[in-house]
Amino acid sequence: MKVDVQSLGTFNQLAHEGAQEATGSLAQMTGMDAEVDVTKISLVDRQDVGEELGSDAFVGVQFGFEGALAGETVLAFDEASRDTITEALVPGGAADEAMAQSSVEEIGNIMMSGFIDGWADYLGATIDHSPPQYIEREGADILPASVAGERDQIFVFRSQVEWVEETIRFYIYMLPEYDSLTGLLGEHADAESDAIPIEKLETFNRMTRSGTQKAADNLGMMAGLDVSAEVTQISFAPIEDVPKQIGNETYVGTVVEFTGLPSGYLLVLFDEQSAINVAEALMPVDPQEEGLTEQHEAAIEELGNIMTSGFVDGWANVLQQSVDHTPPKLVHDMGQAIIDPLAAQLGQHQRHAFIIDSKMQTDGLAFESEIHALPNEAELREALQELQVDRADQTEADVEQIF
Amino acid sequence: MADVLIADDSEFMRNLLREILEENHEIVGEVENGVEAVEVFKEQEPDLVMMDIVMPIRDGIEATDEIKTENPGAHVIMCTSVGQEEKMKEAVKAGADGYITKPFQKPSVMEAIQDVVPS
Repeated sequence: MKVDVQSLGTFNQLAHEGAQEATGSLAQMTGMDAEVDVTKISLVDRQDVGEELGSDAFVGVQFGFEGALAGETVLAFDEASRDTITEALVPGGAADEAMAQSSVEEIGNIMMSGFIDGWADYLGATIDHSPPQYIEREGADILPASVAGERDQIFVFRSQVEWVEETIRFYIYMLPEYDSLTGLLGEHADAESDAIPIEKLETFNRMTRSGTQKAADNLGMMAGLDVSAEVTQISFAPIEDVPKQIGNETYVGTVVEFTGLPSGYLLVLFDEQSAINVAEALMPVDPQEEGLTEQHEAAIEELGNIMTSGFVDGWANVLQQSVDHTPPKLVHDMGQAIIDPLAAQLGQHQRHAFIIDSKMQTDGLAFESEIHALPNEAELREALQELQVDRADQTEADVEQIF
Repeated sequence: MADVLIADDSEFMRNLLREILEENHEIVGEVENGVEAVEVFKEQEPDLVMMDIVMPIRDGIEATDEIKTENPGAHVIMCTSVGQEEKMKEAVKAGADGYITKPFQKPSVMEAIQDVVPS
C-alpha cells in the first residue's frame, strides 16, 4: 500500500475544511467567533495518541462512522468550555447538568455532521455516523477505546480550534480504521509519481522513536538521569501551519541545519526552567548567578549538539549515508518565532511539510525536552524510497570495527 | 604525559575535556575550529589532538586531513557526538587514530589516549 504527498495533502485539507465547517456551525449557534488553528494528519504510536491532552478533565461527544471511510471521531472540550458553550446556547443552562450535557451533545451532533459530510462529498459516497455519545473523561481517555486496537501505529487527524477573545480551546480527532484509510490513500495514490509505501513511513517512525531514545540516553548519561522518550510522531501539514506546531511559550535550545538525504532543520528545545535545571545537572559546580547564565547556555548548546547527533545518526546509519549538520545555534525565544524562519525557508520549495516531533522527560528532575525535525519533503520521500526496511534496526555504528 | 591540543567549538566540552585530561597530560592549546586547530598544531606540535568533527569554518575531518598531510606521524583522536558509520570511515580516510563518541566517561577517554599514545 502506498501513499503520495498529494493524497496526504488532499486528505489533510478535507479534515481541515471539515473542522472549519464544524467550527462555523458552533460559531453560528453560540455567536462566538472561532477559528481552526491547525489540522494535521499524524502517524503516531497508539500509546501516544491524545498525549497533548495531558491529565486535564474533558467533556466530549463521540461518534462512530462507517461507509466509504470508517472509524471514530471525538470532539473534546475542557470542562470550563462546556459551561461557556452552554451559557451561550441556553443562558443559565450551565447550572443544569442535564441541560449542559444535552447542549454539548446536540452541538457535537451538528458540528460533527459538518465534519464528516465533506469527506463523503469528496469521495462521492455515503458515510453514516452513529448517534452522539456524551462522555466525561480525563486526558487521552476521552478518545475511543478502539484506539487500543492491534496495530502499533495509527493515523490520526487532529484539529485544534480556538475561540477569538475567549479562553476556549477544543480538539476534533478523527481516528479512521487503519485498513479503511490506507485503502483510500492507496486508491488515490499516484503510483507513478512520489508514492511512499506506508510500511516505510511506519518504519521511519519507529526509527524516529529509536533516535529519540538515543538522544534521551545521551542526555541521561551527561546529566546522570534516567530520561525516557515519551512521544514520537510524524505529521503532515501545510507549510504555513508548521509554526503552530510549537507552543508560544519561551524556549531555550538549539537549531541546526542538516544536509544529506534528507536535508532540513532540527530543533532541540527546552522550556526555560527545564533548560536551567538540566544545564545545572551538567555543571560541575553551581553557578554564582540565578537564572539562565552564559554557563547554562554553553551547556545547552553542547547538549543540543549531542542530542542532535543521537537523533540523526540512526537515519544515516540505516540509510548508509552521512548526514552532516551545522554547529548548533543557540536560540532563546518564543516557539513560533524560532520555527517561523525555518518554515519560511522550506516553504520556498514545498507546500506541505512532514514534521517529526518527539518529547522526552525524566522523573528525577523537573524537565521536559522536545525535538522537532523539519526535513525537506522531496528529499525525505527520496530517503524513504531508498530505505531498506530490513536494515531499520541497524541504527548504531560499531566504532571498534572501523578503528 | 602527552602534550594535548583540544579542538572543540563548545566551551563547555573544552572545559570538560581539560578537567579529564590535565591530571595526566599537558594541555598545550584549546581552539574552536579546524583552521585554528591546524595553525596551533603547526606551532605547538603536540603529541595528540583531541578533535571535534562538527565545528565552524573548517570541520574536524578536514583539519585532521591537513594535519596528517603536514605530519603523517601526528596523532589525532576524533572526539565527537557524531555516531555515523560513513563519518567514521571518512575520519579513518583522513588519518584519524581513534574515535570517541560524546557523551563519554573519563575511562573511555583515557583508554583511547593510551591506545594511541602509550605512556
